[in-house]
Parts: sequence; C-alpha cells; structure tokens
Amino acid sequence: MDRVAEEREVQLVVFQLLDQTYGIDIAAVHEIIRMESITYVPRAPEFIEGIINLRGRIIPVIDLGKRFNLSAGERTKASRIIIVEVGGVTVGMIVDAVLEVLRVPASSIEPPPPIIHGIEAAYLRGIVLWNEKLIILLNLDRILFEHEQRALEEAQERLAAATT
Amino acid sequence: MFTDAEVAVFLDELDEKIEVISEQLLVLEKDRGNRAALQEIFRAAHTIKGSSAIMGYEKMSTLTHEMENLLDRLRHGELEVSTEVVDCLFQALDTLKTLRARVTAGGEEPDVGPVLAWLRRCGTPARPPEAGAAPFEEGIACPAAPVAAAGAGGESPAGHRVEPPPPLDDVELSVVREAELRGFRAYWITVHIDPDCQMKSVRAFLIFENLGRTGEIIKSLPPAEEIQEGRYDWGFRVLLLTREEPRALEHLMMSIAEVTGVSVVPAVTPEEYRAPARQQAAPAAAPTARVEAVPEVRRVSQTVRIDVQKLDTLMNLVGELVIDRTRLNRLVEVFGGRYGTDELVETLNEISSHLGQITGDLQEHIMKARMLPVAQVFNRFPRMVRDLAHKLGKEIDFLVQGKETELDRNVLEVIADPLMHLIRNAVDHGIEPPEERLRLGKPRAGRLLLKASYQESFIVITVEDDGRGMDPARIRERAVEMGLLDREAAARLPEREVLDLVFLPGFSTAGTVSELSGRGVGLDVVRNQIEQINGTVEMFTAVGAGTRFTIKLPLTLAIIRALMVTLGEQVYAFPLTNVVETMHVRPSEIRRIRNNEVVVVRGQVLPLVRLAHLFQVPDAGGEQLFAVVVGSGERRVGIIVDRLLGEQEIVIKSLGEYLGRIPGLAGATILGDGRVALIVDVRGLVKEIGTEEVAYAAG
Repeated sequence: MDRVAEEREVQLVVFQLLDQTYGIDIAAVHEIIRMESITYVPRAPEFIEGIINLRGRIIPVIDLGKRFNLSAGERTKASRIIIVEVGGVTVGMIVDAVLEVLRVPASSIEPPPPIIHGIEAAYLRGIVLWNEKLIILLNLDRILFEHEQRALEEAQERLAAATT
Repeated sequence: MFTDAEVAVFLDELDEKIEVISEQLLVLEKDRGNRAALQEIFRAAHTIKGSSAIMGYEKMSTLTHEMENLLDRLRHGELEVSTEVVDCLFQALDTLKTLRARVTAGGEEPDVGPVLAWLRRCGTPARPPEAGAAPFEEGIACPAAPVAAAGAGGESPAGHRVEPPPPLDDVELSVVREAELRGFRAYWITVHIDPDCQMKSVRAFLIFENLGRTGEIIKSLPPAEEIQEGRYDWGFRVLLLTREEPRALEHLMMSIAEVTGVSVVPAVTPEEYRAPARQQAAPAAAPTARVEAVPEVRRVSQTVRIDVQKLDTLMNLVGELVIDRTRLNRLVEVFGGRYGTDELVETLNEISSHLGQITGDLQEHIMKARMLPVAQVFNRFPRMVRDLAHKLGKEIDFLVQGKETELDRNVLEVIADPLMHLIRNAVDHGIEPPEERLRLGKPRAGRLLLKASYQESFIVITVEDDGRGMDPARIRERAVEMGLLDREAAARLPEREVLDLVFLPGFSTAGTVSELSGRGVGLDVVRNQIEQINGTVEMFTAVGAGTRFTIKLPLTLAIIRALMVTLGEQVYAFPLTNVVETMHVRPSEIRRIRNNEVVVVRGQVLPLVRLAHLFQVPDAGGEQLFAVVVGSGERRVGIIVDRLLGEQEIVIKSLGEYLGRIPGLAGATILGDGRVALIVDVRGLVKEIGTEEVAYAAG
C-alpha cells in the first residue's frame, strides 16, 4: 500500500442541511458569514436565493436545499452563508448550520452510492464515515455549474411563455 | 532582451509619435509651406528611428530612416511637398503602423521593400536651391534663433546671416541649472541693431542696462567689452538669466530705438534639462536623442500606467467606505438622540462629516483616473475623412473640437464605431461633390465638424455637416412606403418624431430617394450602440443646409443618476436617462382597454404596466400608486411601482458571471445602508412590453 496516499489528509468544512451532514473541501471556502438581508432577484433560476453585498462585491446566494430539489431550509440563528469560490466564480450557499472543520485521511473517502437522501451521485464526491457520523462530500463544480445553463434556459423559456 | 515594461514604454512613445506624424502630415498636406509641421514630422520620425534601432526592430528603423531622408530633402528645399510626397509618407506611416501592430500581435512582418523604394525615388527636384531655399537654409543653419520678431515698422533682419548660439559649456550649464532651481530661466536674446546706427556703443550700453534690470547677464557674443566699444556687426547676443516671460523681454527690447529685431529662445532645451535624469534611467527605456534645439517648450505631464482592474478595485474599496460612512452617520444620529449634545457626540459628528467629504472626493478622483481624452478616438478620423474624400472626389474641411474632453474609457471604446459610421455617412452622402456645391452657391469644400463638450454631468458629441440635409416629407413618404407607418399616422406625426424614424431598424432609403440615398442605413445600429451605454442620439436636419447628429453620453458607465423606487420590500433603480416623468396614479383612475391597463394623461392614453407583474413579485398594494413614465416618442409606458424614493447617484455593478444577463435587469447597486438594489433595464422592459402588446392585439 502506498504510504503517502494513506497519510494524505483532506480538510473539510462540515455543515448541516435538512438534518444531513455535508462536507466540502476547505480549499474552496472563502469565508463563512451570518445570514444577512438577501435581495431577491426576479427572473433568476429558482434555486438562486438572491444577491448580497459582500464588502462591496455583489455575490449570488443559492439555496442548497432548493438546488437539490429538497425543501427549502428554515432560517434560524444558526443559519450561515458559506462563501465558496469555484471555477473563478464566487457564490454563497445557505446552510442550516456550520458544524466544524475536520481533517480526514483521503483514504477514508468512499465512492458515493447512486443516490443518497435524494441527491444524485453526480453531485457527490463521496462519503466519509467519521466518529459514527455519515458525512456526504459535495462536488461543488457539478452543483454550481452543471445545471446552471439548463436552469437559465428553463427560466428563459418560462419568461417567453409568460410574455407571449 | 528587453523587459515588458521597457517594450511598453517604447510602444507608448511609438504610438504617440505615429499620432504626431499622422496629425502633422494632414496639416502639411493642407498647408504645404508649413515648416513647423515638417519639423515635427521629422523629429517624430527621427525619434522612432533611434528607439526602434535600440529595441532591435530593424525594419522599423530602416523605414523611419528613409522617411527621415525624404523629410530632410523637403527641409532643405531639395524637394517640394507634393501630393505624391504626402501620399508616399502616408504609405510609409501605414507600413509603420503595421510594423507596430506586429510587435504586440505577432504575425508576419510586411515587406517594406516597395515603400522604401518609393521613399527613395519620391518627388521631383524642386526649383534651384539658390532661388527658393535661401530663407529656408537660414532657418536650418540657425535652429535656435528663429526669424526674429520684428516690431511694428521695424526692419526684418532676415538679410543677416546669423550663426546659431553655441551650446553652453558645462560650467554655464551648471550655472543655468542652479538658477533654474531659484525660478530663473536662461534665454539667448539675439538683438539686431540698425546697420546705420551711429552710436553703437551707447545703444549696446542701453540694452545691457535694460536687460540687467530684468535679470543677470552671464555671457554675451561677442564679449561684453567689444560690444560696449561698438565693435559688433548686425547686432549681438546675450545669455540672460531671468524670471521674465520671453514676450516681455521682446517688448522691452523692441522699445529701444534702432533695435530692428529681437528673438528670445530658451538657452537650454527641455531635453537638456532632463538629460542628467535620463542617464540614470534605463538607457533603452527613453532613447530620445536631442534632435534639434526647439524654441517651443512643451508641458510634459507625468504619467504612470495603471491596470484598469486596480482602479476598479480602488473604486470598490471606496464603495465600501461610503457604506461605512453611512453607518457611522446613523450611529451619530442614535448617539445624538441618546446623549443629546454631549461633547463627544459633537466630535463624532465632526469626524463623520469630514470622513464623508473625504470619501466623496476620493470617489471623484478615482473616477477621474479612469477618464481618457476623446482625442484617443477623434484622432483616427482626420485620416479617415481625408482618404474617403479623396476616393469620392470630394473636398472637405474637417474640424475637430474639444479633443481634450475626457470620458470614461469604457464609454470611449463604445462610441468609436457609431462615430465612424456617422462621419462616413456625412462624407459619403451628406456633403456634395465640389461642382454641385459651387452650383448651389456653397463653398467648394464641405464643412464637417466633430465636436465634444461637457454639459452638466454629460458629454455631448456633435457630428455636423453642411451638405444636402434631409427632407422630412421624404422621410415620411419613405416610412409609409416601407410599411413602417400608415399614411394617416405618418401625416399626424410631429416633425421631430419624423426625424426619429431614420433610427428605426431597417429604415433604408438606398436606391430610392436620391437625397436620402444611403442615409439612415445602419442608423438603428448607431442608436443601439449609444443607448446601450445609456446615451441618446438625436438628428437635426434642414434640406440643403446640412445635418447634425447630437450624441449625449454619461461621463462614465460606472456611476449614473437614478430614480430610486420601492416595490414590496425591495428597492429598484431606474436610470434617469430613461425616465420621462413620474406621476401619481389613483387606482380609480386606471381604465382597461382590452387587457391593458391605461390611464389618461393630458388627453393622451398612457399604457400602464405593473412592475410587480413583470417581475412576479408581491407589491405593497394600497391606494397610492406611482407611475414611472419611460420610453420615447409614441412609445411611452407608465411602469407602476409602490413608492418613489427620489434621485440618487449610484455605482453600477454587474450581477456577476454566475447569474449572467437576466432580462429586465441591468445590474445592481449597493445602497447607503449596505443593502443591494436592482437596476431596471428600462429599454429591455419596454421592448418586452411591446411584444406583449402585440400579443394582446393579436389575441
């Protein structure tokens, strides 16, 4: 067995969303902020919650729950916006709570099952069992970009339907 | 190899010199005896020759070397400025531009052989040098002492052969430099004395006395003792350190009897002033050699190249500062309410308002840093007009005014195309051929004006010709023929709006009405481009007298004035350029025509659209509604919102790559309290509403 691979670790930001525990690679995380007033953007794709002002920058915020076609989460005091940067684009993701930053050996990541808690495997990087907790690792690239084009096209179709 | 920065400096200089040559060639073409223009071109070519050789652009330096040779023949009167010479130089300039483009873009270098050959054989020999070139040669032999300023009634001293003043030696130079630090400047003053003067020594004494009062004489030619003994020929020359203006010195000298001419030129050229600094700098970066002693002193503005992104970042930072300032203001209010006029509260108040002022200034200056003079775009047109006029056999006086007017670089990039279009149109279709103009009693050469000026927070660009103009009746007719309007509607249309018709897409008159031929083609594109940057374009025309296009642009794309409104809990911004007026609407006043809501305003039916409906968001409801009237001409629409908040300057931000373009929205802005407001894309919405109306009408 390759020792180096065995010892390699992955740092995860672990958060809660609709009673499940998820993790994303810390390298993608820019910062984590409290909920703030989000400006609703009409005609944007459904899962876009709106835009916020992050120190002078306009950042879109998505609702991960809606993104996975699960129900929208409830906003509580524990709700946070995780600002991630993926593929040169900065996006905020609303989560129910941020739990911890975790170091896990890369070897402990297992391939995802075809579907888990209603989320397709394509959106997942894998799963980790850690201290008897199941952490679902998200594939942000897929989540943020794969359906973006389709969703926008759909929105445009809806708009066209509404105006003709 | 040279660093990128060195190449950048070289290219900057090259661009500048190319511009100079281009500009001055046009001057020279019009005024063939213009020595100053010739000199400028020569100097520019010479500079390029030197720097391109250092940078290793061989073709460029060979080319400019040949240009220089040709120019030198012109300067020495061996050759006269002819159309062929100008064309040849233009050709060389174009080749130079191509070579320059290769430096950045790469690709194959053009073959400079043919143009080199042309430069060598170009032109016919001028008249024998002794006849035509005598005054010329004097000027060359004596570059630092141009033709002396002859006073009223004074005799021109041109007959004298005057040697140029010798260059200053090191000791003199150091004296001059030191005096410079104390605010003095050094001038060579050349004084011509009437050859019939009887008391040469007394005259000289008087002159020395007078000059001595204005400063310090540090040298004279011939030496002072000889002059004061009257041992001089045509006059003499004095090196003076003074704080006086050259003009004043000239006046002073000319007021002395028997002085027939005087010239005052700086003894040290700007190049020489900078020389010590140059030596320390990287030699390749600024290789301008001293070419000629030029009497003219140029103001050199000091610049630093900055990445636009850095300026954008600065702008964002200021934006944050503005938000914090607003928060601080609020805090001051709260404190004031809680603790009354406590001393600390007052201090806080002071700090807050001072901070506000500084933030405002900072914002303004960063905005200004993004501005560039319109010359960047305007300078390409004289050449274009010249070429086009030549091709079409027209004569055109092309006037460019207000080149120094500054505009945001983004705006500048967008206007180049529409302007080119309008100018081309004016040359092609507006201005008549010379014979026709003469027949019409107009001057042979058409007049074309391109002008930029400020008007409040806008910049106005005018393109005006004195050509054929357009006949509104014809436009009306044509619009009916093309099915854009029915005859009745066309007849009803007020004249101003008739002129607007030429901007409609597809309004083409090609091959139909001769006066309109081609005019209007692509004007819809022009309007589109200009409206995209929140500008407006209008046309005025009179048959036989000409056409004028007036383009009004915001100074910057980054900041606009907007009308802020609320809808539900959110704030929306309407760019003010799109807003015609605002009005109160009571729900009881709203009528229905088919499925559309309308309201009658001043006897006119105004269609209404609810923004809440367009954006599918909840509105506040209630008895008080407000309509923001937008659109132009016949197409006015009232957009219903909940409340009007007032006008405000806003910084436009894009919604970002992730959201991309959302129809009906032009971007977002950050409000004083840190919240985000959306900017409504009014033109987009009006278009959308248009299709909606059509759909209703059809259904």
